[in-house]
Amino acid sequence: MKCLLTFLLLAAPIAVSAQSPPDRIWSLDQSTLTYHMSHPLHEVDGVSHAARGKGVCHLGVCEFLLAAPVKSFDSGDTNRDLHMLQVTRGAEFPLVTVRLRLPETALANPNLDCDLEVQFAGNTAHYSHVIFHQTITGDRHHITGTVPSTLTDFKIDPPSFFTVPIKNEIPVRVDMTWH
Amino acid sequence: MASSKHRLAIRSKLTLSAFGFASLFVFHPILCAQTEPATELHASTHPSSLPDAPTPQAPQQKPADSAPSLADLGLTNKADPDLQARLDRRSHMLKVHQQLGLYTTVPILAACISGAGAVPDRNSYGNTTSRDVHVGIAALAIGMYAGTALYAIRAPRISKEPVRGGIKIHKYLIWIHAPGMILTPILGTMAFNDIASGHKPTGIAQYHQEVALTTAIAYGASIIAVSWPIHIPGMHRNSAIPAEAQ
Repeated sequence: MKCLLTFLLLAAPIAVSAQSPPDRIWSLDQSTLTYHMSHPLHEVDGVSHAARGKGVCHLGVCEFLLAAPVKSFDSGDTNRDLHMLQVTRGAEFPLVTVRLRLPETALANPNLDCDLEVQFAGNTAHYSHVIFHQTITGDRHHITGTVPSTLTDFKIDPPSFFTVPIKNEIPVRVDMTWH
Repeated sequence: MASSKHRLAIRSKLTLSAFGFASLFVFHPILCAQTEPATELHASTHPSSLPDAPTPQAPQQKPADSAPSLADLGLTNKADPDLQARLDRRSHMLKVHQQLGLYTTVPILAACISGAGAVPDRNSYGNTTSRDVHVGIAALAIGMYAGTALYAIRAPRISKEPVRGGIKIHKYLIWIHAPGMILTPILGTMAFNDIASGHKPTGIAQYHQEVALTTAIAYGASIIAVSWPIHIPGMHRNSAIPAEAQ
């Protein structure tokens, strides 16, 4: 009897973990990341469609990772893009990565309140309560929002044009579809 | 006797196996409560025995073991210091090119203005002061132009892809102002010699002014082209970023 009780007690954690929901994997179908740069003489948008992403849900918590090569951002001017790559040290740190963690239950909401960890140009910045809007069609989740990033967040010296530096604010617009 | 020994042996085996079996379960809750470095160790040695502890929901903690990695995305964050060094050198040289190019507009403009006064009136071909001033300023302009061009030529090439954007027109215009910068002083020297000889410039020398003006206009257009499109503050422009986010 003692053995049986011991067995049951010891086996309990296994039983609990066996009840946990199975993992769910999220994949990024398509994405458009657009940074916006302002200068008194220029308004520039740099676009990347090369981001890759994955999400893993486990025991009610989802971890997401999104990454895009810095050199994949295209502003329509090769000279500017190469300068951007230099200023952001894109050869030393070729990827911009975004990590976030969400409760699985939140994934059905039309608005996602996210805390982001962004690694870029060799530095990490945290953005709290960034709101993304979500439209769900079948198993596709179309998500849009803007990350309010700045140059100082990543210790990037603002490049200048005609000796006038660009604005510190570099908001990044996110438009992506997950399934 | 033999039977009792055999029974003892079987009981011992059962006890041992029970301990071994139990030890697995005894350690299971501990595994669940392990801190991240320890779980990383387990993840690397026994991927199938990852702890099932729920990830804390506090923001900005280290990614849990279940978190996706760059390898999952098929990406690597491999640095290329050599490329970064070339990018740094390129940017530095093009910055100097840009600044020197802007400064060069001053002597070019001055050469154009002084050139207007260098044209001799009838019967005053002997007065060379205005022409000397013009020659001096033009020489300075040409020298600075050569320096500006040198910084662009010596800047490392990073990509072999065709250029796009304002830089494309900037490069096309080189085909006008670079030959112009060579031709203008040649024609100027010819015109100067003609005037010094006491007669008006003849032959191609008479086109010195037109070539110089074309060169100056192409040079100015080149500066504007590399800056194009120029955003005029206050004018509406569609942007991919909503206004509230900017």
